[in-house]
Amino acid sequence: MLPVTKIQRFCTKDGPGIRTTVFLKGCPLRCVWCHNPETQSAFNEFFYSDNLCIYCGHCASVCPANVHTVTPMEHVVNRMSCKRCMKCIDACPTGALERCSEWLSADKIFTQVMKDAAFYGASGGVTFSGGEPTAHAPALIPLLNLLHCNNIHVAMETCGYFDPAILPELVKTTDLFLWDVKDTDERRHINNTGVSNRKIIQNLIAADSLGAKTILRCILLKSVNMNAKHLKGLISIYHSLAHCIGIELLPYHTFGVSKNGLLGQAEIAHKEWIPSSEEMKQAESFLREYVHIIHN
Amino acid sequence: MIFHTASDIPRPIRLTDSTREWAFASLHGKYGDEAMRTPCVNLDHIEKFEALPDTEKYDIAIRNIAENAPVRICPEEKICGAATLGDAVYHIVPVRYRGEAILDSVSHLTIRYDKLLRKGLTVYAKDISKRLEDKTLTDSQTAFLHSLENVIESMRIWHGRYLAATKNSRPDLHKLLLQVPFSPARNFHEALQSLWFVFSFVRLCGNWPGIGRIDWLLGDYLKNDLKDSLLNESQARELLASFFIKGCEWIQSNPPVGSGDAQHYQNIVLAGIDAAGNEVTNEVTFLALDIVEELAISDFPITVRLNKNTSNALKNRIAQVMRHGGGIIAVYNEDLILQTFSNLGYSITDARSFANDGCWEVQIPGKTDFSYIPFDALQILNKVIGITEENIPAFHSIEEIYAAFCDQLYETVKAIYVSSVTQKFACKKGIWQARNTVIPTSVVSLFEDGCIERARSYYNCGPEYTVRSPHIGGAPDVANTLYAIEKLVFEDKKISFSELVQALKNNWESQEPLRVYVKNKYVYYGNDSDDVDAWHTRLLNDFADMVEYCNTQDACPVKFIPGVSTFGRQIDWAPNRCATAFGYRKGEILSGNDSPVPGTDCCGATAIIKSYCKADLVKQSCGSALDIKIFPASLSGSNGITALISLMEGFLTLGGFFMQIDTVDTQTLLEAQKNPQKFKTLSVRVSGWNARFVTLNQEWQNMIIERSSQNFM
Repeated sequence: MLPVTKIQRFCTKDGPGIRTTVFLKGCPLRCVWCHNPETQSAFNEFFYSDNLCIYCGHCASVCPANVHTVTPMEHVVNRMSCKRCMKCIDACPTGALERCSEWLSADKIFTQVMKDAAFYGASGGVTFSGGEPTAHAPALIPLLNLLHCNNIHVAMETCGYFDPAILPELVKTTDLFLWDVKDTDERRHINNTGVSNRKIIQNLIAADSLGAKTILRCILLKSVNMNAKHLKGLISIYHSLAHCIGIELLPYHTFGVSKNGLLGQAEIAHKEWIPSSEEMKQAESFLREYVHIIHN
Repeated sequence: MIFHTASDIPRPIRLTDSTREWAFASLHGKYGDEAMRTPCVNLDHIEKFEALPDTEKYDIAIRNIAENAPVRICPEEKICGAATLGDAVYHIVPVRYRGEAILDSVSHLTIRYDKLLRKGLTVYAKDISKRLEDKTLTDSQTAFLHSLENVIESMRIWHGRYLAATKNSRPDLHKLLLQVPFSPARNFHEALQSLWFVFSFVRLCGNWPGIGRIDWLLGDYLKNDLKDSLLNESQARELLASFFIKGCEWIQSNPPVGSGDAQHYQNIVLAGIDAAGNEVTNEVTFLALDIVEELAISDFPITVRLNKNTSNALKNRIAQVMRHGGGIIAVYNEDLILQTFSNLGYSITDARSFANDGCWEVQIPGKTDFSYIPFDALQILNKVIGITEENIPAFHSIEEIYAAFCDQLYETVKAIYVSSVTQKFACKKGIWQARNTVIPTSVVSLFEDGCIERARSYYNCGPEYTVRSPHIGGAPDVANTLYAIEKLVFEDKKISFSELVQALKNNWESQEPLRVYVKNKYVYYGNDSDDVDAWHTRLLNDFADMVEYCNTQDACPVKFIPGVSTFGRQIDWAPNRCATAFGYRKGEILSGNDSPVPGTDCCGATAIIKSYCKADLVKQSCGSALDIKIFPASLSGSNGITALISLMEGFLTLGGFFMQIDTVDTQTLLEAQKNPQKFKTLSVRVSGWNARFVTLNQEWQNMIIERSSQNFM
């Protein structure tokens, strides 16, 4: 079984062609800029959206732990006492309360992603994202095998932080890795993600030596990693890889912050980190001399 | 001078500055305004006009138009002829007697042009006079043939006026007119002139014909000219651009708002196979795409016939043009349509020549008298379940409801058959013909195969085929309603049937939790969910069977065929429809054509296509249209092109009929609503036709804005 936060169809930004992206819950990193905060924790969680709530109180009446206090004017959610039974979700008529994830079997996921097989064509397929999909390697790899056997192109969006022992199996069943290289500066990486980038780079090089095709996905945050030293670091990583097909630059955005709110977390939008399109172009033209840039 | 695009990539520039400026002026209403200053030709001077029979009134009208309509020759144009009378823009013959319009015109057809190009108009005159030698003709047949002669004579008068007007000032145009349209076209330029001249005369007389397969009509001429170096590609593009720009001559700068002014069914169909089965795609196909891509001209809505052998180069070009937005390019599934036509008994050569009626309903061009009769299936269901009635009937299962609904649906279909076929056509002396006198239609009759041979007009079984098509509207709404009742009442038992109907009668008042429950907890048509899609499939199959059954109940050769559409009627219907079992309140705008109800589709474009394709669309022989709106951001970059091509290929594989992808983003539309002056040329294509957004009234604009965008980041 795999904890799926969403299976999203008609994705055009998660690898080549039309893709179905499977988001899995749970991540070893805690990036301060995370745009899918619901996929960090491995626990069951729920979203609460106040603007959809009609204050009917159905949730409060089924909750065994007094998480929901609903008056005609207000709905207070006390997540601390939540037993994660999710009864409130089923009782909510409006969709104001929503599960963050569902445990699905590999077969069920396979059936879901095959629904769009007619649209995958020569280049499209399935992308695993998250969270960190490799965190579920034992349950995930049989699914990857199944897709591989059915000639479905598989892409894996990974932060690269995993046990290298899974690499041979992973590389065999994955056609393309969308490999995050969030920062080349180790100290900053630790500060902003909670872990060192060493293992990530080592895994990347090991994957490459096994023939893994990669696109490096590099988030750029103004006044964090948007500097020449980091860009040069990216160039040197790119050139150390034999099967890397290019670098995709991703400007930091604050869309994920809305989801922090739905999870009952503080909404902290670092607007000062958003690079202007001019700055993105500058970074791109700097890199373009040395590496292949991918626009998706 | 900016031609609007929804893409982050600017539109390419290939045409000369003067051509572009001319296009810009035309798109901004220069010639439409001019036409409005001369709306019609006055017939007050005709003695005893009122006492004349309709055919004579018509003949006089056509001749007077030819003699008196203003002649216009734009300095930039490379072909001439213009539909300069404003009343024609409103689908009437632009003549008035004592201030009143008196004659109706014809639309929903594509006339035959290939014979005209190859043989010239003179041949038609010969055919008619030969036909007049027949001593067995009735008086009305003779009168009809003389009326056709009057059309040719009138065209000669109009042609003569253009010859005179161009003689000194425009020898290039004058030279063309010395050859065409009366003699056969000898090269691309003459063919283009011949086509335009006849098209614009037919329009000048108030009719709205389609163009049809322009690449098939003109491709060989261009191929030969290119081979003989008479023209190069960019010269050919300039010539063809004249055709497209002149086609915008009815756009006004401040048009009256309504359901869209920007096109008059002047549809173009590109690519696909010819009568012999060879692929048509040629230089003209690509030049036409070049032009609409550059100039954002939406007045010739283009539909491309795709089949499993369509080249990647063509699909790639279609995707590039599509991405600029405006919904200018839609696609047909040619293989499926040919199968449909084969089932209908059309010969393979006729079937392969298909074009459309000006929207997307397929027909054999130049051989078909076509009209469709729309009805609202949701209203039928609402009546059956008692929402619109005083007493609520008792039903104990969803099957009982569906059976009762089908009885009423069949009554509707049968009533349409009776009113549009049985009461309209009769077999007299072994020949099927109109039961009563029909309005004169000589201008279009001249260009329909069969009218001269049979000496019968367009509405009098003159053309090879007469087609009447009931169009089911609200099919997705009915599927959603049946599904919601099935779940809510009979499976989940959340409410009794009579309580639900009472709630719907009360517009869901005091039942808000239940309303939002059905709206949010059930999955409706457009999300690739088999349970609800099965209702949609079943409904369309049963409807098609009912239509076919009517068709087999007598010997009448009129083809009575099913289609699925609302075009824009979901707007007109909204105020009189009731609250729905799937959680919508009274007055909300529901499904358009065969597309999901706005706001119910949340799984993206691929899921919409899959839901739609589950129905056996071969049975919907008049067509079924799917409109999809995609947020431009998800189509950016080279992968955006790949994605669009994959959507088209999936649509073919899964058995779609007609699909139109629009890529306008909500933000742009909201801005256009606020600042119409800034977005005068922004076009959107709704349910099979194009409209300039700013020409739509608020309700229409809101509906387009509401249509869910497939925006995933």
